[in-house]
Amino acid sequence: MPKLQRRDYYDTARDMNWAFSYVSEDEVFPEELSKSFGIHGEQWWGWDEPYKLTYREYVHNQAGKDDGIYSIRSTIARSNLYDNLDAGWKSAIKAHYGAIPVPEYFASIGEARMARFGRAAAWRNMATFGTLDECRHGQAQIYFPYCLLGKDPQFDWAHKAMHTNEWGVIAARSLFDDMFTANDAMSTAIQLTFTFETGFTNLQFLGMASDALHVGDIEFGALISSIQTDEARHSQQGEPTLKIMINNGRKAEAQKMVDQMFWRSWKLFALLTGISMDYYTPLESRTMSFKEFMQDWICRQFMDQFKDLGMNVPWYWEEHFLPELDWVHHAYHMGVWFWRPTVWWNPDAGVSAAERDWLEQKYPGWNDRFGKKWDVIGDNVRTGQIEKTYPATLPIVCNCCHIPICSPSIGKAPRITTHNGRKLNFCCEVCEWVWKSQPERYDTHLSIVDRFLAGHIQPPTLEGALQYMGITPDVAGNDAQDYAWHGASRLAAE
Amino acid sequence: MALFPLQANFRGDFVVLLIPVDDSDDMSIVADKVAQHAVGLRVAEKSAPKCVYHNGRELPSSMTVAQSGIQPMDWIEVAYV
Repeated sequence: MPKLQRRDYYDTARDMNWAFSYVSEDEVFPEELSKSFGIHGEQWWGWDEPYKLTYREYVHNQAGKDDGIYSIRSTIARSNLYDNLDAGWKSAIKAHYGAIPVPEYFASIGEARMARFGRAAAWRNMATFGTLDECRHGQAQIYFPYCLLGKDPQFDWAHKAMHTNEWGVIAARSLFDDMFTANDAMSTAIQLTFTFETGFTNLQFLGMASDALHVGDIEFGALISSIQTDEARHSQQGEPTLKIMINNGRKAEAQKMVDQMFWRSWKLFALLTGISMDYYTPLESRTMSFKEFMQDWICRQFMDQFKDLGMNVPWYWEEHFLPELDWVHHAYHMGVWFWRPTVWWNPDAGVSAAERDWLEQKYPGWNDRFGKKWDVIGDNVRTGQIEKTYPATLPIVCNCCHIPICSPSIGKAPRITTHNGRKLNFCCEVCEWVWKSQPERYDTHLSIVDRFLAGHIQPPTLEGALQYMGITPDVAGNDAQDYAWHGASRLAAE
Repeated sequence: MALFPLQANFRGDFVVLLIPVDDSDDMSIVADKVAQHAVGLRVAEKSAPKCVYHNGRELPSSMTVAQSGIQPMDWIEVAYV
């Protein structure tokens, strides 16, 4: 049998749609799993994306990429490259490994749902590759830290974290469940691939790979680069889905989904990436601040998308989002450092004199907002009162983003509201809006403070909370630099 | 006497905290219970009296939690006067 040219068979294999006659469309695509927004049948047949790939090509490419990263891994394993990395950078990759690899598997569930319940054949074809991508990302990002277990037990959390009720994990899992593990195919395309991957992770992985190479972490850089090339491809499922929604009069629904998930993604992004870029990455290796990265890459990317597709900037952009770029991740960082026994990595305070100068330059007013508090902490370190640098109670967390409620302002109250007799706390107007937009979706989920007050955490002490979170003494976080920074720190008053 | 959870922050701090008090505590005790989780830890200590604010009003230091109308998990702020 003669071998067909790619062009002779490709579109037939990739994009074979047909009208159903033996079953109804609703039976093939149940609303709960697929969601239509009232767009049916042939209205989907024009769905198209720019990456044209056959299964043979996919396997060939992926095998080559795996060969590349695993050979780098085996070469570096015989060196002392990891041992010589900066302690702060090690914190950044441990935080990443706990928060990301298992959710990659979760994402494969979301991709598989689109591969079955996406309403266009070309979309289902693309999502099949996406499913395989996310499995590969989960496997590689668990294998690499597994190889570092002999050096540091905190790497165990690359696999363990998502199976615990650690507070940051609750925040991450809540977001990822909402976005893809428990989402319908249509919303997953808009919220995971268009909003989160196109907007955040694709660009973040580019930046992380670059930073890794700057600090000499060739292994992590190679791993992240390899993943990013997959992200760039499968994230393309969002835009054609969005275009079909817009062309069929569903722009408002699409806009709402983007607005909801951009905000939820932003909060976790600020927690993980914000801290890593501005505090954990060694000062000499920083190429830009987190705020500059957000402005130059993320905001610009979204602005271009909104403009190109006729979408609007989210309603909260000017009033809530842009102002948070100046402060929210600094507050999160202080919280993570102070509550460091509750995380699986060693937070780097990142407030030596030179680092403080950099922070003040990048974020004018940082010393006044945060430096003064670090002065008090530094004084306690200098005078040997380490016990005063540890928490003795829990922070209140937001019932939407599940991150502690922080504020740089004086006397700014959290937003407290009641729903069906249940008291809820929100860190801001936008989180309250997201929650109230789908109360039936969020109402049964308890924050870690709700669980504490409901008696789920026993004994009801900080020690009981650590046990509930799965934190063991060998992984409980401590200062990454063993407090060396305090000698190089200085009072803001000086 | 009954355990009474509040959410509170000390003015100048950066985070809202879960603070257990007793409904028979007066506001001077409540202020101290909040301060012990922030003052000298992240907020510089001052030799000044402290005050409790709830729903925009300053509560007398002799008023107890039970008398104040504060509900469980309400938010209060404590500040140096």
